[in-house]
Amino acid sequence: MAKRLLDFRDRTAVAGVGYTPFTKDSGVSTLTLACRAVLSALDDAGLGPGDVDGLATHRVGDSAPPTLVGPALGIRDLSWHLDQFGGGSVSHAVVGQAALAVAAGVAETVVCYRAINARSEFRMGGTGRALPASPEVQYQAPYGLFAPPQQYAMYARAHMLKYGTTAEHFGRQAVTQRANAVKNPRALMRAPITLDDYLASRWIAEPFRLLDCCLETDGACALVVTTAERARDLRRPPVLVSAAAWGGGESHLSGGPADPTTTAAAALAPRLYGQAGLGPREVDVAQIYDCFTYSVIVQLEDYGFCPKGEGGPYVASGATALDGELPVNTHGGFLSEGYVHGMNHVAEAVSQLRGDAGDRQVPGAEVALSTAQPGYVLPATSALILRKD
Amino acid sequence: MRPVFQVTTDRDSAPWWERTGRGEFAVQRCDACGRARLPARAFCPACRTERWHWEAAEPEGTVESWIVNHQAFGAGGGEPYVVVMVRPAAVPDCLLHGGWRAAREPVGGERVRGVFTPGAGGLTLVDWEPAGE
Ligand SMILES: [Zn+2]
Repeated sequence: MAKRLLDFRDRTAVAGVGYTPFTKDSGVSTLTLACRAVLSALDDAGLGPGDVDGLATHRVGDSAPPTLVGPALGIRDLSWHLDQFGGGSVSHAVVGQAALAVAAGVAETVVCYRAINARSEFRMGGTGRALPASPEVQYQAPYGLFAPPQQYAMYARAHMLKYGTTAEHFGRQAVTQRANAVKNPRALMRAPITLDDYLASRWIAEPFRLLDCCLETDGACALVVTTAERARDLRRPPVLVSAAAWGGGESHLSGGPADPTTTAAAALAPRLYGQAGLGPREVDVAQIYDCFTYSVIVQLEDYGFCPKGEGGPYVASGATALDGELPVNTHGGFLSEGYVHGMNHVAEAVSQLRGDAGDRQVPGAEVALSTAQPGYVLPATSALILRKD
Repeated sequence: MRPVFQVTTDRDSAPWWERTGRGEFAVQRCDACGRARLPARAFCPACRTERWHWEAAEPEGTVESWIVNHQAFGAGGGEPYVVVMVRPAAVPDCLLHGGWRAAREPVGGERVRGVFTPGAGGLTLVDWEPAGE
């Protein structure tokens, strides 16, 4: 089904990125974090709040919406805004929708942000917080299953049983990403680890150990999306949005494939690559949603970097290391940089394509893939392909 | 031990939980195309019709996956416990979660049988044990 609504490829660009520090206790509100990151991204682009006519975020009832952040920054006439419900699975959808709004001319300069106190206030790991009010909870929580590490561990084991994926495979990805974080001044976890450290880390929910799990982070990250034309006149080299795609996911309702070892990314990937006019071989660097080590392995397969079932051996071959054929999560990812729910993956992809990633720069990076949570838990996913101008 | 959580049933699910309370493992059977579905909801995803009836099924399935939980994510969840993901024989395109009722860990693909277990708030849960042991 070929759908073509508007000329989208490379028509919009990320013109700036901004961050707050990543910490375990920000000491401030999510509204404050959001404002700081938005101003930081605008400053990076050489713009100010007066240039903004769109704001977009996603949240799970845990953060400040555009209707609060706009007025707090004196931006009162937003011609477009988006307050998307959802976690990591819609993180890239937010940026994609902002790019669509800009391409359609509804807004000219949109700032996308995610601001969370995911350690000091609303813990993403589910420790001690109230259960979400959604129908599927009644089929899981009474059995003691409700936190993301538990849900993902269940999928990870299914993959191990079906394809022979091992703890060492998971561990290699954790070690690789930590090595990247060592080179990233923004990263929360900068002490190198070995495979033995990984194997010795305590059980969270078997087959997951502590070092399979992402951090819980306080912090915010923001991106300025505008037309490619306008971005070329701004302070930084533009990074073009070549493709944005959305997908479904693994539902608890019968009637779907009920295959816990293949994610919605497998169906999304051809749409994404088709829109960008390239394939996985053209991708120079990838920021792959790493709420857990396993989510990297399964997406390497589903985005076509290796055959189905071979994500583990692919990682063990060194392919995803900084000097490998496909450097993955060059900032350290959610496992080691910090967990800002997806937005910091897009921001790192932008850095790599601008060539300003410092010690962790992938030489000659021209095309980047950045992906959202691949559709487990909340059955939705999204992804972006970005390109050097 | 697994932590104790009281959850809310809904207008789709309440009749299903009523049946587990009587020791019945029920599936919804579509009147139009005959497809079985779980968990409970109004529409058949295959033929998109709303007419269906409850049908008692054997609480049987196979182990798709499991976890051994160690982290105390909720109150009362201090000791390790096992949660299984089961593919029910009566609705093979559904994956159900449940507690594990055996001293040993599950084995991938092994046949299991439902065990009706009292849960919080008067709900009768469906746990799983090895079939024929
Ligand atoms: Zn039907």
